[in-house]
Amino acid sequence: MIDIVKAYEDEFNKLVELYEKNTNDNSLKNKGVASIIVSGNKVVGLNTLKGIDVKSKTRGDGVVIIDVDIQDNTVIPIPVHLCTGFLEKKGEQLLQFNYNIGANVKVRFKSHCILTKIEKLHHKMISQMYIGKNSFVTYEDEHFHDENGGIFVETITYAKLDKNAFFQSKFYATKTRIGRINVVMDFDLDDYAKADLESKIYGKKDDKIDIQEILRLNGQYSSGIAKSSIFATDSTEANVINEAYGNGAYSKGHIECNEVVKGSNVLVSTVPILKVVNEKSELTHEASVGRIRQDQLDILMSKGLDEEEAVNIIVNGLIS
Amino acid sequence: MLRLENIKYSRNSKEIIKGVTINFEDNKITSIIGSNGVGKSTLAYIIMGLSDYKPNDGKIYLDDKDITDFSITERARLGISLLWQEPARFEGLTVKDYLSLGGKIKLDVIKDALNLVRLNPDVYLSRYVDKKLSGGERKRVEIASCILLKPKFLIMDEPDSGIDLMSLDMIVDIMKYLKDNGTGVIVITHREEIATHSDYSYLICDGKVLKSGVCSDIIDYYRSTCDLCDNVNAPKENLI
Repeated sequence: MIDIVKAYEDEFNKLVELYEKNTNDNSLKNKGVASIIVSGNKVVGLNTLKGIDVKSKTRGDGVVIIDVDIQDNTVIPIPVHLCTGFLEKKGEQLLQFNYNIGANVKVRFKSHCILTKIEKLHHKMISQMYIGKNSFVTYEDEHFHDENGGIFVETITYAKLDKNAFFQSKFYATKTRIGRINVVMDFDLDDYAKADLESKIYGKKDDKIDIQEILRLNGQYSSGIAKSSIFATDSTEANVINEAYGNGAYSKGHIECNEVVKGSNVLVSTVPILKVVNEKSELTHEASVGRIRQDQLDILMSKGLDEEEAVNIIVNGLIS
Repeated sequence: MLRLENIKYSRNSKEIIKGVTINFEDNKITSIIGSNGVGKSTLAYIIMGLSDYKPNDGKIYLDDKDITDFSITERARLGISLLWQEPARFEGLTVKDYLSLGGKIKLDVIKDALNLVRLNPDVYLSRYVDKKLSGGERKRVEIASCILLKPKFLIMDEPDSGIDLMSLDMIVDIMKYLKDNGTGVIVITHREEIATHSDYSYLICDGKVLKSGVCSDIIDYYRSTCDLCDNVNAPKENLI
């Protein structure tokens, strides 16, 4: 059954309500769904299933440490929900997740960050992840922030993929205003391991976006894709650095950044870094920074849409 | 009727369209034929009203209404549309999203249009209109989109480009379907198999109408004269 910390039952219920309101999903109350629910600097709800072990503690400096261990050969058919929220107006939320995922595991994580009704907050989450041999892991991270822009999110992930492991990440912050965000994903891949990283962020007003995605293709035949899409409006500043290092023989990497701007005060940049150490490695990159393409606008307007309607359709595609 | 009256258009000081007058009849298929680079696609963009293709001189009338200064959106809303030679890619948009134009068009008619262009709706509605869709598939999706608009006039700029040879009959069927359903089709083409189904043809050279008439006469002339001509864009004959 769902383990709700009695003293924090109100916070649990408020977070669940906010989550359901933003997503129309009632998984957090479902006993068949593994979940970890964090409010502020404490775990307020926990539901584990066979094969998953979760331990948490709050350090003296306020950092919440959460250890997630998944045993070898565990297959979890329904996504594991990680819900972090903050119910005060101001403050700091510091989290450290340590994932130890065994061999031959199949698991999907669905993470949501509910940071609405907040004036000023620093939310920092460091994740250290080990993914065992032949395991298949996906991680979807979706953010819901307050529209006043007073939130600073840092999400830093270090992951080590063992032989033939697969990891897919989808980081989406497109539905509400982002504020300031710093995303770092640093992945180390062993032989035949595969990583597929995708980030989509919609910047508004004076939002500031920093993304750094790093693929260290150390193993032979390892491969990875790191793709970032930014839609920057108003006075948004966005800096994206995608890096790939071809260290293993026959490793393959592709990095891609697409930044679409709308507004005269937008400031965006993209920096690709490709470094081949092993002559048998192959790395590619693709980047674009600019307005919405005129040919796309013309095509949609030739179907009777005005420019604003055409832009909305194109942007909805970019950030979907 | 859609009427071009003495249209002239220059770009970078170069005269590309040099006084074209054409009447496009309602519910007819009119073909525009000519070698590469003679101004056929430019004419299409001028009719559609693209911002970089405003004529320097001349008038465009739709049913006697002067639409020369109308925007691309205004013209589309009056019933003029364009099947683009090179359909664009739209990252993140599914075929369903794209064809519904933001929810304006219902799913059942979208499915019908996909069937007409021989794309299985069960397979294609959820596909993305991006680089994973081949050029030919994107072209078919674009044709389906034009069918859904039910335009009064549809300019089809090389509708066969990107489409395999075996599917040329599908293009012809679509042209006939559009005509039967009240659309005047303006087809720009190099292909005799397509042009031969038009009611009337215009041969363009050097930004002017070189000849006009029933399609078989124009094709005969093109084959006997233009195919052998070394003076593309410098015809020796008097232009009409």
